[in-house]
Amino acid sequence: MNQQHTISGARGLTDDQDRLLSADEPLAELQESCGGTIPGVLAVPELLILVRQARRMGLRIAREFSAFDGQEVVIAFARIHPLSSKEGGGCEVLIENWHRGSQNELNSHQLADRLDAIDRAAAEVTARLDDDQKVQFLAATAPDATELLARVKASPGQDINALLELKGIAHQQPLHWRLVDGTQCSFSGSDRTWRLRLLPIGSAAGTPRGFELLLVADEPFSWVEDTDESQSEYAHSRLIGGTLTPTLRQPIARVIANAETIRTRMAGPLRSEYSEYAGNIAAAGQHLSGMLDDLADLEVVEAPGFSVAEEPVDLIDVARRAAGILGVRAQERSIEIVLPDADEVIALGEFRRVLQILINLMGNAIAYSPEGSVITITTSQSEKGKNTISVCDEGPGVEAEQVSRIFDKFERLGRDSDDGNDTGSGLGLYISRRLALAMNGDLEVVQPNSAVSSGGAEFKLTLPQFN
Amino acid sequence: MGDLAMDRTETTSVEAILRDELARETRALGGIAPVISHLLESPGQNMVSDAVLARLRGMLGDLAAQLLCETAIDGGAPDPEVQERLAQAISAKDAVLNHLYAVAVEGQLLDQLQQRRTLDPVLSPLLQELIASEHAATAELAMSALAAQSRFVQSQRRMGLSLAELPAELFALVLNQFSTAELDTNAGDVGAAINALKSRYDEGAGRLALLSRLVGSMRAGSVAALELEHAGLSLFASALAKATDQPRDLAVLACHDRQSARLALSLRAAGLDTVAIERQFVSLNPVDAVSAGIMQISVENALTVLSRSSSSFERAAG
Repeated sequence: MNQQHTISGARGLTDDQDRLLSADEPLAELQESCGGTIPGVLAVPELLILVRQARRMGLRIAREFSAFDGQEVVIAFARIHPLSSKEGGGCEVLIENWHRGSQNELNSHQLADRLDAIDRAAAEVTARLDDDQKVQFLAATAPDATELLARVKASPGQDINALLELKGIAHQQPLHWRLVDGTQCSFSGSDRTWRLRLLPIGSAAGTPRGFELLLVADEPFSWVEDTDESQSEYAHSRLIGGTLTPTLRQPIARVIANAETIRTRMAGPLRSEYSEYAGNIAAAGQHLSGMLDDLADLEVVEAPGFSVAEEPVDLIDVARRAAGILGVRAQERSIEIVLPDADEVIALGEFRRVLQILINLMGNAIAYSPEGSVITITTSQSEKGKNTISVCDEGPGVEAEQVSRIFDKFERLGRDSDDGNDTGSGLGLYISRRLALAMNGDLEVVQPNSAVSSGGAEFKLTLPQFN
Repeated sequence: MGDLAMDRTETTSVEAILRDELARETRALGGIAPVISHLLESPGQNMVSDAVLARLRGMLGDLAAQLLCETAIDGGAPDPEVQERLAQAISAKDAVLNHLYAVAVEGQLLDQLQQRRTLDPVLSPLLQELIASEHAATAELAMSALAAQSRFVQSQRRMGLSLAELPAELFALVLNQFSTAELDTNAGDVGAAINALKSRYDEGAGRLALLSRLVGSMRAGSVAALELEHAGLSLFASALAKATDQPRDLAVLACHDRQSARLALSLRAAGLDTVAIERQFVSLNPVDAVSAGIMQISVENALTVLSRSSSSFERAAG
């Protein structure tokens, strides 16, 4: 069956403010193509309505929804289970019966009509031109078009070339409207770039009786003068997370999916060498994808204005969730995760950030532990109003001279050699520590006490206590 | 002084009771004209027939009984008077009433189709095919839908409806009526009962969700579900609702023999041609024949006309 058209199911988790915390690949892709991030507010409009509804009513609901992912219409069936406030107050979202397809295939004529309609609705400046492309009347809602408006009022009947600066067109003569339609332009008084639409009025075949002129801005008008140094620095530093990651995620996911198809010989018999090569491609793709996520996180934690929310977080609950998310990976290597048996240990921090740290720590523990070993999570309350949670494994441990470097950026402590299975970027622990510090806590390596410890690594996350 | 205060509360409570009573009576008076004019203008089969009314009463009573049973500690039968009051409170919500009306019409049509056209109300040929599907997930879904449909038909014969079959919004409305209704019953803890009902509720396990998922899983094949005698009324209605972007309740009502314009437009909007549309008309035997020029209406126009009509219906239903 074609992967593009049938995807069996996807699971996602939202919090009490309808932010999508985690999601399986197809849902994550849809969230991103609808302009959202993970974690971030659910960006699929119909799904958001359903999640809100389920949360408000406290009822499990099941509905069909559709969304447009930029290329195709996605129709799927969503089952939404609201979770109790103890479990985060969000919803578990299960999506089945995905199917994609351009349901209402528009022919080129209809498509053109629709695009015109969209431009008409989005235009901030509209005008009526006569058959010589002279401006008869102009109306504008954009604040930066007042000057343009005044110029037209002052002397009606000007040529549009006199009013607008068309990019890439030096001609001063009125050009055929088809050549002008769709060009970029600018005009004095506005810093924005505009797209010019020229729609003929009258019969399509004959000479137009006049034109409808639309100016559609490429970006929304900003009231604030954007000269603040830190602001522009921030904007610059969001290059990876804001631009690169969303654009690269889909092609990389496709590379991985196709390489997996080859590796598992789904499309037919293949020599085993080639299947192995495909396995390497998939692994490299996964590495790249993990690296992108980490780099995007890095940008966020290093941004000047970075701060975290302060809310009560139950460390036991977070540990349980992290263990649930990593359960399959642990099972693959027959590793057992032992959770603390305390009821709840409430610390002050931001839920999703704590979850992120614990997933990082437990993921590392699973990667570096021998098969069949045990990972133990313990919690404690220290006297100084701090709560801690520790992740201990039975792996090779951290040597004394590595301790000082382990939280450094891009530090991998010679772990690259792990048969290429290791997809770490060397950023995980650095990011986790930055997050812990931002929550007024800390993340450290506990040096094994040779008398008691089995020699594995122990990472301890400290957070302020919630009272 | 004490006597005076007592008298005062008594008057106010009597006043309150009478005021409520009066409000109900006023509402009843307000309903006379539209009901009478409806009965007068439609000879033959009415939209509101005794049979449909009986079904509605039965379902309202059944819903009330299920709510009250949840509060009963010893599992005894609920007090009929309390049950009647609760049923009335539920019926005060037009949205619930509209849905129950559509359910009643569906139940009645399933009966009629079985008598007139020997259509099995539970297992249609299409459902049988889906159960035999090679695709395991589809087969399983079809089995669950079959079980849910069989439970539905069974309870419709008793003029009942399971609470779990209500769409989530209406379920929440009914629970709200339950918690605010003054039942002066010592039957037990209403709050706890509501919490228990809420935690058990799963819209996805209900018949309507299963049918809708089944139609969705058929993809392009869902055209097959637009053949009434092949798909059975329930699956047909779900498929028609999906194809025409109407609420399913309206798709069911389109099959009523006094809603032939809606039926013709819906089928046209779903992309059927005259021959196919006429076949559905023969099965449902509505009062009016298919308008001759139905094919002159484009699918898009049919969709637009329908969506305007269903949004004005929703506005009227409030």
